[in-house]
Amino acid sequence: MKETKKLLLVVERDLRMFLQYKFIIIMRAIWFAAQVAFFGLIASRMVVPELADIYFEFYVAGVVIMMLYSASVFIGYDIFEEAEHGVFEYLLSLPVSRKELVLGRSIGGGIRSFILVGPIIAIALFVIGLANPLNLLIAFSALFLFAFGVSGMSITIAVMLKSGDRFDIFMGVLNALIVRLSTTMYPQVFVQDASKVYAAFSEFNPLTFASDLFRWGTGIERYLTMDPMPLAAIIGIVIFFFTFTFVGVTIYEKRLEGGGWQ
Amino acid sequence: MRPFIIFVLKNLQINEGMLVSIIRTIDLTKRFENLVAVDRLNLSIEDGEIFGLLGPNGAGKTTAVLMLSTVIKPTNGTAIVGGYDIRKDPNDVRKLIGICFQEPKLLWVGTPWDVLNWHAKVCGLSTQERKRRVKQVLEDVNMWDYRRKKVHGLSGGMKKRVEVAKILIQRPKIAFIDEPTAQIDVVGKHKIWNMIRKLRDEGSTIILATNELFEADLLSDRVGIMHKGKMLVCDTPKTLKDSILGGDIVDVHLEKEVNGNAMKELKSFREVVDVVILKPNDLRIHLNKVEEVVPKIVNLFLKNGFPISSIRMSEPSLDDVFVHYTGLTIEEAEQEITSR
Repeated sequence: MKETKKLLLVVERDLRMFLQYKFIIIMRAIWFAAQVAFFGLIASRMVVPELADIYFEFYVAGVVIMMLYSASVFIGYDIFEEAEHGVFEYLLSLPVSRKELVLGRSIGGGIRSFILVGPIIAIALFVIGLANPLNLLIAFSALFLFAFGVSGMSITIAVMLKSGDRFDIFMGVLNALIVRLSTTMYPQVFVQDASKVYAAFSEFNPLTFASDLFRWGTGIERYLTMDPMPLAAIIGIVIFFFTFTFVGVTIYEKRLEGGGWQ
Repeated sequence: MRPFIIFVLKNLQINEGMLVSIIRTIDLTKRFENLVAVDRLNLSIEDGEIFGLLGPNGAGKTTAVLMLSTVIKPTNGTAIVGGYDIRKDPNDVRKLIGICFQEPKLLWVGTPWDVLNWHAKVCGLSTQERKRRVKQVLEDVNMWDYRRKKVHGLSGGMKKRVEVAKILIQRPKIAFIDEPTAQIDVVGKHKIWNMIRKLRDEGSTIILATNELFEADLLSDRVGIMHKGKMLVCDTPKTLKDSILGGDIVDVHLEKEVNGNAMKELKSFREVVDVVILKPNDLRIHLNKVEEVVPKIVNLFLKNGFPISSIRMSEPSLDDVFVHYTGLTIEEAEQEITSR
């Protein structure tokens, strides 16, 4: 069987599994609605009145990226569920190379997060509006890579830690850092004002790249920067994707094995 | 010297008896921190045989199977599976093998149909063949009526049957089957035993890891007994049973009291190890190769004028073989391992 077909079968399995998580999908949608309807609306009242609407749009776009990030991370939790049920060992015994397995799971994780976030993006676009479809298309392509990269990162961390509790705590801390030291919730200029160190982290944060790109794609970014195309963000996401998808494959090819999961 | 021996063993696919070895392990070892789960396992399994890997829970059987199927990596040593080194060519090894796990691995969501259909797809079966085999095997293991039920709602026995079904659909060149009949009722056990034999007849080599010694005796061409990660002994069940000196027992009830001459002649048989007089006309004879010696014993008594009222033979079981080589029953061995 061709390698691509095997890879697609791994993707298919992850998608099938995901569609069974109806409860999680509904809860995520409620979380998004609450963030936008409560936090977004109230927090935008703290901004000077003439920028309140812009901040609200800015925040909605940021929440979409936060959701995309957390949905892509979810594949790591799946791995622990599978390890607990022994399914991980089953997957490792199949006539599928480790490369196909990990790549398939990264892609599967990325696609599922888009399925989850898709309706939310549609709502966000309804709220924000759409200035330039071509920009949005470019932004979406980069966001796909971002989602695959985050899934790859999640799998890498899960495989390296091999402990569900540690993974949970680690991802919680990482989430706190990676979201807060990014431009998902506030523009870079305010991060810069707060601390140069924060700004340095924020500038090279994949969530910043993704948020900036999505805002650029929807047209919000025109209020914030005059860049014709956020090339740095696109390059940053491509590097992030390659690091955790392809270089990561080498790491887990060496480390991946059944047993020893906690 | 050692690397040279390993090199020779790796490249030697034909053993002395000119039987093709499909699996050959070379000092295969797995350590989990301080625990040596498998300790320098050297083993040769021939193409087309059913090889029983026996031992109590914790003996190292499953770890050995997981190493041979490249799911876990050896700490030391290696194995050649179907001509491929498990360390160097794990992808090629996995193309040849299939595992029926001890604990069912059913993707934990979905239905038996989903699980088996996806498994068949990954194993490269064409659409037509896949549908045909999945249906056939689901019927064979009495799971057809439950094919659309969620797997987490199935009983332990049903889950196990789906697990077994995976390997029956796949028909791999080398099938690792770990405790195939655990949690399965007696009727189901017989069905699965027949299916395992059929799988072998269709060309698969089968490695049957089990602590059900009766099952191993019934199915295996050869068995290897593992204890504390080591292979204690490996041969055909018959040879292993015969290796217990005086392991066979013949109880003879005579119509009259036996005399000294007959007893002397009886004890002179090479295979007879001991004769115990239970009652004046009841004898218990400990011997080897019971099936060969019993006709001679019958002749001896008749020739000396001692008609036989009844005669009862019993062979040692693999349980007795296990006790013989470890000094423990399988339950005691399991307890010992648990307390380690």
